[in-house]
Amino acid sequence: MKAAVLREPNTPLEIEEVGISKPGPREVLVRPVAAGVCHSDLHFLDGSYPYAMPTILGHESAGIVEEVGSDVTYVKKGDHVITCLSAFCGHCNKCLTGHLSLCSSPEVGRAPEEKPRLYKGDETIHQFLNLSSFAELMLIHEHALVKVREDMPMDRAALIGCSTTTGVGAVFHTAGVEPGSTVAVLGCGGVGLAAINGAAIAGAGMIIAVDMVDAKLEIAKSLGATHTVNASSGNAVGEVIELTKGGCDYTFEAIGLKATTEQAWQMLGSGGTATVIGMIPVGTMVELHGVDFLAEKKIQGSNMGSNRFRVDMPRFVDFYLNGRLHLDEMISKHIKLSEVNEALDALKTGQEARHIIMFDQ
Amino acid sequence: MARIEITSEVTGNVWKIEAAVGDDLNNEDVIMILESMKMEIPVEATCAGKLIELRVNEEDPVDEEQVVAVIET
Repeated sequence: MKAAVLREPNTPLEIEEVGISKPGPREVLVRPVAAGVCHSDLHFLDGSYPYAMPTILGHESAGIVEEVGSDVTYVKKGDHVITCLSAFCGHCNKCLTGHLSLCSSPEVGRAPEEKPRLYKGDETIHQFLNLSSFAELMLIHEHALVKVREDMPMDRAALIGCSTTTGVGAVFHTAGVEPGSTVAVLGCGGVGLAAINGAAIAGAGMIIAVDMVDAKLEIAKSLGATHTVNASSGNAVGEVIELTKGGCDYTFEAIGLKATTEQAWQMLGSGGTATVIGMIPVGTMVELHGVDFLAEKKIQGSNMGSNRFRVDMPRFVDFYLNGRLHLDEMISKHIKLSEVNEALDALKTGQEARHIIMFDQ
Repeated sequence: MARIEITSEVTGNVWKIEAAVGDDLNNEDVIMILESMKMEIPVEATCAGKLIELRVNEEDPVDEEQVVAVIET
C-alpha cells in the first residue's frame, strides 16, 4: 500500500510503498476514506514531541472495515468506523475506573518480538499513536475504532476521530461545564472551535473566543461564541476579565504554549478551572502565581477530551446530523494523500481550517 | 574517557530495548523506545561511544529525567 512516511523530523513526508501485516486475532484492517491533517501531527513532524522513526503520521480518520481478526465480533467487513488513538485494553486500573482514554496498556499494540503491523522489507515502520492514517490501509486494535451510522459523511466523521472529541470532550468530560457558566477558549484551531461548539451545546452562558486571526474569530461566532477577543491587542487577559466582570468559570487552552496556558489561568475568576488541551512542547515549564490558589483556582490537563469514544463518537455523529455540532466549517479543503506536505505547511501558518485527505475508493 | 548518562525525557514504560551493552553507538542512535500516553518515544545516544550500562528492562516504568543508560566515550 501507499503511505506518507516520515523518516526524520523537519523533512517532508515521502509517499512510499509500505507493507502491512494480516490482522491478528484482535486486530481490524480498515480502509480509510478520509483522514484529517491535524496540528498535532505537526508537533511530531517538527520534533517538539520526539517519536520513533520511520513512522506514518495521521491519527484522525474514518473508513470502512476491510478484514477482521479471528476474535473480533464487534465489527465486520463493510462497517463504517471512526478510528481513535485512545485504544483501551478494557481491564487495567484506568479502564476499570472509567478513565479509558488514560489506558496505557501495551497490549493494544504488538509486542516487541512480534512482526510489526507496518514494515518495509526488514525495516519496522513505527505505527503512530496506534493508528497511522496517512496510508491506504490501517491495521489497528479492535478497541481503536467505533462503528457509526452509514449516513454520516466520512470527511466529517474523520474530524470526530480527534479534534471534535478532544475539544467537545474537554468541555463535557474533563471540565464538566454547566449551563449558564462563563467560558473562554484560547486558540480557534480545530480543537478550540470544537470546544466553543461544545460549550454552546453544554449551555454555557458566555463563550469568549480568543485568537489572533479575525477570520477564525468569525468562524467561532458561527459555532456559538458570544464574544470574541483578538489577542494581538496584547491585553487578552484584561479584556476577558472585563467582559466577565471578574474572570471565567472555565477556560480552555487549545494551542499548547506556556504563555497562553498562563493566560488561561489568569483569565479565571475565583473557583474557576483552567483546562489545558494544547500539547505544550516536552521540557517546557509553566509558571503560575502562587497566591491565586487562595482563590481556589484549579488547573488540569485534558488528553483526547477524557473520552469514552465508543459512547461519545456516535453521540457526536447524531449531534452533527441534527445540526448541533458544526463540522462543515472546520474543513477548508479536500486533498489527495500526495498533497499532505502542502496541507502540513498550511497548518503552520495558522490561517486555515483543516485539510482532509480523501482516499480513492 | 567520560561516562555520559542518558536520561528519559518523559514518564512512561520501556517498550523495546534496541541496543545491547557493549554496542558502539553513534550520536542519535536509538537505545530504547518508551511508551508514554500512546506515543513511542525514542531514547537516543547524546554522543558517540560504547554502551556500558542499561539501567532498565523492557516493561519497566521510567520517570522523567531518570538515568536509563550510560555511554562511555
